[in-house]
Amino acid sequence: MSAPEPRPLPQESFIEEMKRYLHLLPDDVAILKELGPRMEKYLPEMAERFYAQIPHHPGASQVFTGGQAQVERLKSTLRLWARGLFNGVYDEHYAGDRYQIGFRHVRISLDQKYVISAMGVVRAFLMEKLFDEFPTREKRLAFSQALGKILDLDLNLMCDSYFRATMAHLHTLNQELEQAGAQLAEANAFKDEFLAQVSHDLRTPLNSILSFTKMVLDGLCTDPEEEKEVLRDVFSSGQLLLRLVNDLLDISAIEAGKLARDLEELDPRAVLDSTLPLVAVQAASKNLRLIDDTLEQSLLAVRSDEIRFRQVLLNLLSNAVKFTAQGTVRIRALENQPEGYLRIEIEDTGIGVPLDKRNAIFEKFVRHDPKTLSGVTGSGLGLAIAKRLVEMMNGSIGLETGPAGKGSIAWFTLPLAAPLSDEEALSA
Amino acid sequence: MNDLALRGKRILIVEDNALVAKFFRMAIERAGGGECILSEDVPTILHHAASGELDLVLLDVSLTNSEWEGRAINGVELCRMVKEKSPRRLPVLLATAHAMSGDRERFLETSGADGYLEKPVYDSAILVEKVRSLIDLV
Repeated sequence: MSAPEPRPLPQESFIEEMKRYLHLLPDDVAILKELGPRMEKYLPEMAERFYAQIPHHPGASQVFTGGQAQVERLKSTLRLWARGLFNGVYDEHYAGDRYQIGFRHVRISLDQKYVISAMGVVRAFLMEKLFDEFPTREKRLAFSQALGKILDLDLNLMCDSYFRATMAHLHTLNQELEQAGAQLAEANAFKDEFLAQVSHDLRTPLNSILSFTKMVLDGLCTDPEEEKEVLRDVFSSGQLLLRLVNDLLDISAIEAGKLARDLEELDPRAVLDSTLPLVAVQAASKNLRLIDDTLEQSLLAVRSDEIRFRQVLLNLLSNAVKFTAQGTVRIRALENQPEGYLRIEIEDTGIGVPLDKRNAIFEKFVRHDPKTLSGVTGSGLGLAIAKRLVEMMNGSIGLETGPAGKGSIAWFTLPLAAPLSDEEALSA
Repeated sequence: MNDLALRGKRILIVEDNALVAKFFRMAIERAGGGECILSEDVPTILHHAASGELDLVLLDVSLTNSEWEGRAINGVELCRMVKEKSPRRLPVLLATAHAMSGDRERFLETSGADGYLEKPVYDSAILVEKVRSLIDLV
């Protein structure tokens, strides 16, 4: 994850406080300025020593992934940092530079203890070279004191920057955690709602089965004809219950990722031809015209799962027949719409679906407005299942208004099977 | 319940599930001898209530197919409206699909209903008994 870059705060008060605390005096500043040119020649070796630590640090290899080129860049940055020690101006701007380094380390998750210990290596190295540079005891003392003070100042600035950057990072993590918690609560509420809906929907047909059965058993029907009628209600309630249980099993298998998909190259014609007859009887009983516009087409193969393809097609066709009182249900196939996909459209002259319900209707338990028709029953899961199945087969699904604003067009797409390359064709 | 306990009584059934409504109607007609009217249409329901010819309204709490003044309406609201319209005391039996232990009193109070019927009801005798006891109280 990437935290928003914390703005380096001007820590004037902190650097001033540190300067006072470490007794960084004007004499020290003058000494450091004098020391700079004399230490310059040691800086390349200092950088070598610093980065020689890297292979010994398990965490560093995760950060230094840019190879030797990166290490070379970092060495030159380190030399720049060391030159800064001797520039004689230790103000807010100086602090800002040092804070940048700390923030960057936190951002790239560089282990701080590694840098701090490497800073110790740098300190020991510079002190050693300083002693070489000033053999006399008197000068050596004043120069090493000044160098020690500025190195302490830098270490303090770096630790403070680590602290601030870490706090900012934690703050971001905390926000993300809160967000995740809210999402979890939302999902949980949805699950509760889902369970309440499921238990209501399971109980309703079950109650009808029990109450009508008892009615027959109690001998409350006036004649065998009425008894038959009541038993037909029992039977249809049982069918509804079975459909609901099957759909629920399907949807939970899909959501658990357990529904096997077997994507293979398929001729859509075979699926169309075997599915259409399944709704033809229902359509005929309602005097609907079922028109297959694909009959004249020879269709390109798709990459799909035959059983699931058929299930989706059957669901959309049954819906079209179910929600159409009169007129036609028409099926069309459009190749390369969009490029690389077969689009199957089922157009009806039924009641249509209002714009604001287009997306919701693919959710679990959102039923077609029951006010607009009577006697239509379903599990409320059909389109939710269809959507998930189509997505599993790498396609998409949707609903549009039919021509002239009447009826609706349900469509789904499936990827076309990739055409054989010349090489494959030859070897085939 | 061997005699026709509800003979001559007119009962309005307001229930969104067609099969449940059918069960209510058959139970009341067969076991009780009452005469049932089925409706989910609010103006029709209020018209019946205003006629003064009803002896009881059997009212479902959740009414997915009913609306009033362009919005959905439930049995609790409808109960108050029915009571208001009726020229005489009209008992209302409120039915709900969810078992709501503890909510019973709250429902009765806010709706002003006379009785509460917890669905599912499998036994028509229980339903008829409940209906008759409310009518007898009038």
